[in-house]
Amino acid sequence: MQRFLTLTKAMFLVYLRERSTLFWNFAFPVFLLVIYAAVFGGDDLPGFMGWMVPGVLAVNILAFGLISSATMMTEFRQKGVLRRLQASPVPTLTLVGAYIVVNVAVAVLQAALVVAVAMTFYGLQLPAVNLLLALPMVLLSVLMSVALGQVVSGVAPGSGGAVAIGQILYFGQMFIADLIMPIEQMPGWIQSVGPWLPGYAIAQLVRPPLQTGALSPEFGANLLLTLVYGAAAALLAAWLFKWEARS
Amino acid sequence: MTTPILEVDHVFAAYGRGAARIEALKDVSLSVERGEIFGLLGPNGAGKTTLLSCLEGLHQPESGSLRIAGLAPRQGKAKLGVQLQKTALLDDLTVVELIELYTALYAVFPTRAQIDALLTRFDLAEKRTKFIRHLSGGQQQRVALAIAIANNPEIVVLDEPTSALDPHARRAVWDLIRSLHDEGRTVILTTHAMEEAEALCGRVAIIDRGQIIATGTPASIVAGLNINPVLKAAAELPLEQVRALPGAQAARYSGQYLEVETTHPQTTMPALHALAAQLGRNLSEVALRQPNLEDAFLKLTGRALSA
Repeated sequence: MQRFLTLTKAMFLVYLRERSTLFWNFAFPVFLLVIYAAVFGGDDLPGFMGWMVPGVLAVNILAFGLISSATMMTEFRQKGVLRRLQASPVPTLTLVGAYIVVNVAVAVLQAALVVAVAMTFYGLQLPAVNLLLALPMVLLSVLMSVALGQVVSGVAPGSGGAVAIGQILYFGQMFIADLIMPIEQMPGWIQSVGPWLPGYAIAQLVRPPLQTGALSPEFGANLLLTLVYGAAAALLAAWLFKWEARS
Repeated sequence: MTTPILEVDHVFAAYGRGAARIEALKDVSLSVERGEIFGLLGPNGAGKTTLLSCLEGLHQPESGSLRIAGLAPRQGKAKLGVQLQKTALLDDLTVVELIELYTALYAVFPTRAQIDALLTRFDLAEKRTKFIRHLSGGQQQRVALAIAIANNPEIVVLDEPTSALDPHARRAVWDLIRSLHDEGRTVILTTHAMEEAEALCGRVAIIDRGQIIATGTPASIVAGLNINPVLKAAAELPLEQVRALPGAQAARYSGQYLEVETTHPQTTMPALHALAAQLGRNLSEVALRQPNLEDAFLKLTGRALSA
C-alpha cells in the first residue's frame, strides 16, 4: 500500500508541476467558462450556466483524457520512465492502478474548480443532491476518456503526435456532440451522428444530474455507450501498449 | 566452487521480424561471480544493451537462459539495481522525491537519515530539494546511480554509466563504482571505452556483432593474443617503408600518430629515427606503448573499437 501511495503521489506531483498540463487542466477550463459566459450568457446568466457548465465539464473531461492523459503517458514512454518502471519489481497492475487514480483525481479537481468558479462568480445554484448524483457520472466519464487517451498514446509516434491526434478527436466533438452548442440547432446529419460520439454520452451523463438533479430518460443508452467505448478503448489500449518508444 | 551470481547461457535475442529483423545476440554465454566488477566492452550496436535488457527482464530472449542468483530475470528484478542508458528521471520531481519513488517501487522505504546518507555519498546533499531538471548532466548521472543502489541491491547493472560525462565527472563515477565493489556488491556495466574497462573491471567480455569474442581479465585477454608492443610517434612517413623496418609487423595511422607494431622495439626504434632522418622528416613524441584492450579488439575483429 505504501508503494502504491508513493507512486501515486509522485505521478500526481508530476501532473501538477508540468506547466502545460497545469494550463490546460486548470487555467484553460476556467478561461473557457469565462469566454462562453461573456459571449453567450445573455440576460439569464445562471440559467445559461445551468446548461453550459455541464457542457464545459464534459469538454474538459474529453480534453483531459484525449490530450493530457495521452501526452503524459507518451512522455513517460519517450523519456524512458516506463522502461525504468518495467525494470523494477513493481507489478504492472499497481502501475495501472496508480495511473488511473491520479488521472481521476486530477480530472475531478479540474471539474470541481469549474463548478466552484461558476457557483461563486456566476450565481449558479447547485443543490448537494445534484452534485452527488453528478459525481459518479463524472468518474465514469473520466475513466472512459482516459481509456480513449491511452489509445491515442498507443498509436501516437511521440508526445507531439499525441497532442495532435488528441486535439483532432477533441475539437471534432466539441461542437457536434451537444457539449457547448445544443445539438437541436445542428444540421440533420450532425443530429444523427452526434449521439453516437463519446462526447455526447459524457454530456448526457453529466448534464441532467447537474441541471435537474435527476437522470435523463436516455440514461441507460448513454451509460451503455460509455461502458462500451470505455471497455473497447481499454482493451485496444492494452493491446497497443508499449513500454518503450519506437526508435 | 561457488555458483555464479549471474549466468547467461547460450542466449539468442532479436528485434523486429521479417526483413526488419535484427539479431542482436547470437549465442552469448557468460557468468559473473559474486563481488566482481564485470565489463561488457564493445562498439555501439554490439549487443551490450540488449544483453543487459535480457538480464533486467525487459527483453525476452528467443532462446537460451539467464539466471540472477538462480532466479529467472522476471523473478530476479528485486535483486538488481538498475541504471538504464536513458537516465529516465522525472524532471519535475526533486532529488529526494525521486529517490523515494524509485525505492518504493522495490518496496524499500528508507528513512530521512538513510536518504541523506545516500545523497551525501553521491555528493548530492545540497541538491536534495532541487528539481531534476535544474541539475547538470553529471549530477543527473549521480542521481541515476544513487537510484541504482537505493534499493540496496546485490547486483548493480549499469548501462554506459559515464558515456555523456566530462573527464572529471567520469572519474567521480569511477570512484563510486569502485566503492560499490568495496561493499561487496556485484557490478556489471557496459562501456565502449577501453580505458574505462581497464580502469574499473576485474574481468571483461568483449562483445562484437552480437557475439562474445573474448572473456577474461583485461591483462589476460591482451596477453593471450600475443600482440606486439606498439611504437607510437608523431611523424609522417610512408607506411610501405615503415613496414619494411627491422622488427616491424604492421604500421598504421591512428589520428595524427604513426603506430608501428614491433617484435623488437630496441631495433625498430633506431631504424625509425634513421628512416626519418634519411627522408628529412620530423619525428617526435616517440613512445613505446604496451598493447591494451583497444589493440586486442583490433586484432580480434580487424576493426578499431572507437570508430
